[in-house]
Formats: sequence, structure tokens, C-alpha cells
Amino acid sequence: MESKPLVVVGAGVAGTAAAIEAAKAGVQTTLIDENPIGMSMIGLDVPQFFGQRIMGTLRNKAVMLGRVAAANDALADAEEAGVDVQLGTYVWGAFRNTETSRVLDGPQLGLADDEQSWVINYDRLIVAAGSRDLGMSFAGWNMAGVMGANGAYSLMSRYQALTSQRMVVMGSGNLALNTARMAQDRGVEVAAVVDVSPSVRGGEALVTGLQAKGAKFYTSHTVKEAVGRADDIEAVVLVEIDDDAEPVAGSEKTIDADTVCLAIGLAPNVELLDLLDCRLAFKSELGGYVPCRDDRMRTSVDDVFVAGDAAGFHDEMILNPEIARNQGRLAGIAAAQSLGAIDNAEALARRSDILRSAAVTAPPAEVHTGWKKWLRSLVNAGGLDIFACLCEEVTRAELIGLQPPRYLEWESERMSSRSLQTLMKDGPVNPDQVKRLTRAGMGHCQGRRCREQVSLILAEEAGADIAEVPLTSYRPPVRPLPLKVMWPHEEPEQVRRDWVKWFTP
Amino acid sequence: MPVDSADVVIIGGGVSGLSSAYFLAKAGKDVVVVEKGTVGSEASGRSGGMISERVGESPLVPLAVESLNIWAGLDDELGYPTEFTHHGRLQVAVTEEQMDEVFSERDAAFAHGINVDQLDPSEMRDMIPGLSEKALVGVFFPNGGHANPQRTVQAFAWALQDMKGRLYQNTAVTGMKVADGRVSSVETSAGTIEAETVVAAAGPQTALLAEMVDVHVPAAPARVEMLATAPLEPLFKIALVGNGLYGRQAARGNLLFGGGPHEWADVGLTTDPDKPNTPLIRNIARRLAELLPGAADVPVIRSWAGVVEQCPDYLPIIDFLDSPSNYVVVTASAHGFGLAPATGKAASDLVLHGESSIDISGLGLRRFDNVGTGWRDERGWIPAPEQPAAH
Repeated sequence: MESKPLVVVGAGVAGTAAAIEAAKAGVQTTLIDENPIGMSMIGLDVPQFFGQRIMGTLRNKAVMLGRVAAANDALADAEEAGVDVQLGTYVWGAFRNTETSRVLDGPQLGLADDEQSWVINYDRLIVAAGSRDLGMSFAGWNMAGVMGANGAYSLMSRYQALTSQRMVVMGSGNLALNTARMAQDRGVEVAAVVDVSPSVRGGEALVTGLQAKGAKFYTSHTVKEAVGRADDIEAVVLVEIDDDAEPVAGSEKTIDADTVCLAIGLAPNVELLDLLDCRLAFKSELGGYVPCRDDRMRTSVDDVFVAGDAAGFHDEMILNPEIARNQGRLAGIAAAQSLGAIDNAEALARRSDILRSAAVTAPPAEVHTGWKKWLRSLVNAGGLDIFACLCEEVTRAELIGLQPPRYLEWESERMSSRSLQTLMKDGPVNPDQVKRLTRAGMGHCQGRRCREQVSLILAEEAGADIAEVPLTSYRPPVRPLPLKVMWPHEEPEQVRRDWVKWFTP
Repeated sequence: MPVDSADVVIIGGGVSGLSSAYFLAKAGKDVVVVEKGTVGSEASGRSGGMISERVGESPLVPLAVESLNIWAGLDDELGYPTEFTHHGRLQVAVTEEQMDEVFSERDAAFAHGINVDQLDPSEMRDMIPGLSEKALVGVFFPNGGHANPQRTVQAFAWALQDMKGRLYQNTAVTGMKVADGRVSSVETSAGTIEAETVVAAAGPQTALLAEMVDVHVPAAPARVEMLATAPLEPLFKIALVGNGLYGRQAARGNLLFGGGPHEWADVGLTTDPDKPNTPLIRNIARRLAELLPGAADVPVIRSWAGVVEQCPDYLPIIDFLDSPSNYVVVTASAHGFGLAPATGKAASDLVLHGESSIDISGLGLRRFDNVGTGWRDERGWIPAPEQPAAH
């Protein structure tokens, strides 16, 4: 099987820097990125919350490949450095031998484009897979026009394919403000920037710029609902909240808008790391479950490294891309060193250069108190009959009540007497168990839009710290792939011969 | 730690253990189920959910047929939904080789006096829209079906609690005390439990538990894989076997199918075995698309693996041992899910009356008296050697 000395997953700032650094150290490096993402996957809101405000040009793969390349200057530098850049390639699986699985001839990645899939071996892997949009539910968030900050970023920057006219931005950290600025720069009117916090959380300079172009700021506000026609957003109703995150009666404001951008936070993309059994730990200041890693960006699995948002995201990284770039370079150096391409002294010298030039930044602050306040305000303003999970249409009330899905049409006294509260008497909260019973998180977006809110709701119900809620498991394929894409083109004779039907004697 | 006690301690919160516990609690016994993780977190919750009469395995037929009888009223009995669907089971051949399997299933059914229908391709495609044009012949078992394993396990657990049975999750068994030929107490991570009777229904760990009481249960663990697609419009309600796969369309519309080579493994007593998927899921995807070409465009959204146990003759063990004289072994040889209602009934009969009302005469442990401790090596039912590190 084809084996690559070093594979870097994700050609964002960190991944590209990692690939360039490793290639310069003499390592044959492959840099894989899934952009431009195929229309069918975008339609499933994978891997970001894209929100259906998309130009048809996205269907033209050749045009999109050009735009993706043009949006990232560093890609040309990577190719210049000898990196094999593979765009439009999904990484949907990561496999290595374990106690009960010993058949692989080395660690492997499952790759695919929109037509076919294949598997490669690697010696070293750098996961720079970025981050994912944090979903927060409100009435109407199932309508076209609701998207996440990363989804909006992709549509605006990489694809130049956003069709929004007037946007309401949820959140006021640098992530939100930067997304709003980018929207204004591309001619999208930013009608409102909303946050539950009593003051704007992001940088002053960005605020001034946004206000100059007409953006209005609503602090101590939340979203009550998005309203529209034919599943298309036309306006967003905001409401002021008090210190307990309860809506203030009569304070509703209706803002005309065709888009709501969820820019409250991002969650690191740790799915490949989880599949490879890299140790993860909950660090609120880095956005939730993140890989345990050392200063050289090595994970607990000795051939896997990590960089950028996937290693943990904090708001300062929006203003200062050097943080991700340096992490990428460190990961590239560490991978090169572990492959023997550079010796220890050389690696140390290169690391020192990076650490010396790195700006000192304040340690990031925890984010989940703010996320909890957002969720509480949305629940207070919108009630419990709002879908927490869009794919499976599971409401907050059904989740809290641990009720079976409506399509089973099951009602019994005994079932009604069960809830998350009663389940928790039997043991600590287990999100995998809850998702299998309620189906929240079991849909085609693979739980991307509801994972964090479901965990927050579970923590709230359990009266537990969010850090005590275990990571909901990830399983391959971590991108939804059609059967006819995932399948191997041929079933080898050997496989056909060895194929057994359920332990037939 | 204080000493706890119960009439019956059941080791294992999988579907067989919980079903046994439910019927015992219903009969008035004071029952404790000890589970090292959460209910159904291992093989039971990872099952394909298939339910059939198991005509190919004669000693199982009485148990399987009685199980289907119980399944038919199980939702009402337990008070919680299992998604039991009783629309039959179709086994399809899409290659010449597979035709022999179909005919042998048909003949086995006739031999047991069980009604089946042999179907031609057009009849099968009426039953399964989107079925392969290559489907050659099929055999339809009207009395078969499927259910949702996770919902079923939870339903049994809740119904057990409703009967005042106790469920100790996240509690591992660490030892057993034997005195005068009886297990006097079960040692767990949460303390000692004294019991009149012990039922070991611990799946792949059943053999390890038996070693504690000097009993040899020949059961080898193996890891198997399945996948799930995104939901489709409702296509079929019957359980489908064919092209080396088994599976169903869930009530929600997802196609859930598994099959292919299994991998022999070892497990620990108190730890959860790894359950990774491998690139084998690509081959499952291929075979599913071959079987149902009409579904080739539907995305696969997840996969999973489970570790099951398997006896040398591929049949379960349900047996009240002579020694220790208060110890019941229940191990399902990867047939646990469909059989569970009857397995639980049989096991509770053994505890309550010393004999089962369902014929389990072919499922005793004594049939393995001649199977020595080296049997796994002899058969090659052992894990592959660990691969040397790549670097």
C-alpha cells in the first residue's frame, strides 16, 4: 500500500506552515485539504454550518479549486517548498492497530474526493484540521440563512459564494467581530451584533470599524426567534435579558435580516485524534475537548502531532494568526526530527528561533460560562419546544425528558415517568447513551450542530460541571460519504474468499 | 464496605442478563444486576438487531421460536418501546454460491416444520424496493423481524427497576468466594454482595468469570463491524440477509448493515475492550450497494464495532451447573439479541425451578467436556500477533 512519510491534514494557517517547515527540513510531505467541499456535503451542513446562502457557482469544481488556492497565499509557498498539495480531498477515517484490531500493516488514513475513496499509510501525521461551528438553537434556526462563523468564513473568503444581504451576528468576541467585518468588506450589511454579555467582548478597534459602517451593538440581549416565509429567514427578533438571563418583557426588537451568523465560539476538530486514541482532556479555555500535547505539539500517540485550532481554539487566535502559524512550524519541526530528517541540535535551534520571536499573549479565558449563559437565555426566551437537534428534530423538552422519537408514536405512563433526571440516578451522565435513546446527535450532520448544546443541557440537568460530561464518541466516516464513494472499486479476490456470513460454521 | 445481599446476583447488564433479571424480579426474587459499564454498552447495544427462528441450528429452534412469541408482546410487557418489527426475514442470493445457502436455509425450515416461501426475483423486488437486479432467489421467513438493541436493553433495565430489581452500573466484578461447592458472595468494585444464586451473563467476559470458580467455559471473543447510512424514505420493514451481510432499515429510515470477517481478540475482566472500526467498512459499503443499488447514493454517517463471544459449536450455553451448585452460565455465541427474551425466561426458570420450560437440552456446558483449555490455539481462534511497530 502507498505509504507517505508525513501527511498534514488541513491547509489552513497551521497546516500549511507545518507542511512548509517539514518540507524545508527534507521530509517528503503531503498536505491534504477538503476544500473546495462538494455541494452535496455542504447541503448536509458538513463540515461547517453553511446555512444554504450559497451561490450556484460552488457547483463548478474547477472555479472553486482556483478560488481556494487564490485565498491562501501560503499554498503557493508550500508547493514551492516541494509539498504535495492535495485539495478537494476529505480525510474521513484514521485507523491504527489496537488490542482487538491487529490486521493493519501500519497506521492508515481513509481519504476521498466526491467520486471515490482510498486508503493510505503514513509514518507521521500532523492533524491541523481546524475547528467547527458552535451551534446554539433558537426558534427558526432550522430555516435557510442560519450559519456558523466558520461556514460564513468559507463562503465569503474561500469560495466567494455567500448570497447574504443583511446579517445578524450572535456573539461579540473577536470571532464574531472579525466575521462581521469580513461581511461588511464584502458588501453584506451587518444589521446587529448581539451578545448576552453586558459589554462587547472583542477588540475595540474592530468595534469602531463596524459601527462606522452601520453595525448596531446589542449587549445584554439574546435571540428570541428568527421569522420568515417558506423556511427562509426574513427577520430576527432580539430581546433584552436581565442578570438571570430572563427576557425583559416588552423589550423585543425586530431586525430585518436574511442571515443569522452563530459566532459565539468554535469547537476544535478532534475527531481524527479521537479515532487514533490520542489522549484528550477538557480545557474550557481552548474550547472543550482538546488533545493533550507538549510544547513541540506532540500528542500522546508518538506518530501524531497537532497544530492550530484542532489543538485548541481561543479568541486571541483570530487577531493573531502567528499563534497558529508557530504551532504549525513547531509540529513540522517535531515531525521532521522524529523522522530523523534533522538532528536534535538542528531541531532545537529551529524551535528556539520560533519561540524567541513569538509574541507573549495573555492566557486564554474559559468560555463555557459564556456558552451556558447563551443557552440559558435562548431557553428562557424560546422555551423548551425548540429543536436542539436539527437533523433528528429532537426538541429540548424531548431531550430533557429522555423521550423516544416522535415517529415511534410511543406513549406509556412508565415512559413518561423517565427523564434525564431519573437516568442520572443510575450513573454519571453518558452522552452516548442519551443520544441513542433520544437520537439527538444521530443525524446526517453527524452531531456537529448540536454536540455542544446537548452536552451543556446534560450538564445543566445533572447539576454537573460541563467538564464532567464525557466526550460523545466519534466514529468513521467522520465525513458523510455515499456508499458508492466509500466503497472500494473492486473487492479483492482474497476479501471475497474470506468473507464470512455471521460466524457460519 | 458494607455487605450487600440479594436472592440472585446477575453479572452483566447486557440483554441476556437484563432479561434474566427481569423475569426473576417479576417472579418476586430480589435481584441485583452488576454491570461494569452502562447497560448495553458492549455487544448487546452494538448488535444488528436481527431476530429469527434460527432454523439452521437445530438445538436453538425451540428457544428462538419461543423468543419470537415473547417479542410479539414485549413492548407492552415492559412498558417501554423496543422498536420490535414483526414483518419477516428475507435471505437473498445474489451469486450462484449464495443460492446454496438459501436452499439449505429453506430445507432446514421445512425439516423443522416451519413455513417459508421461496421467492423469485420479481417477488423479492416487490418486497425490497431497490434490490439488486442480480438477486437470483430468496427464502422468506414470515416469522422473523428486528428491533432496536439499545432501546431494548434500556427497556429491560427500566422494567427491571419497575419490578424493584436493582441495577449497579459502573460496578465491576473482581472476585467470587466459593464455600462448600457454592458461590457464597460476589466481590465487586462497590463491595461484597452475598447471593443465593449467581447468573453469569457477561458476554466475552463470561469465560474469565468462570475461571474464578474453576469452571472452563469455552468462549472466544471476536470483534465485528457494522455501519449506518443517513435516513432514507421507508423502503422495507423486513430483516434482510444477503451478499454476506445482515441488516435492516431502522424505523427512522437508516440502513444498518454488518458482516464480513471477524477478528479474534482477548478481553480483560474489568476493562472495556477497544472497539475500533477498520477499512473493512468500505467493503461492507460495497456489498450493501451491490445488494441495494438503489441506495448507492445515500451517505454512510457512522460505523461501529462490538466484541461478541463464540463457543466452538457456534451455539449458546444456558446451564445451571452442578459445581458450583448455585451458578448459572448464560453465554450467547453472538446470537444473544434475538434470543434474549427466551434466554431470560429459560435462565429464570433454571433459578426458580431447577429446569427450563423451554427446551434447552442442547445448550448445556457438559457438551464441551472434551474441549480442553488449549482449544482456541488448536482452532486458531486467537488474536493475530501484534504487528511490529512501524518505526
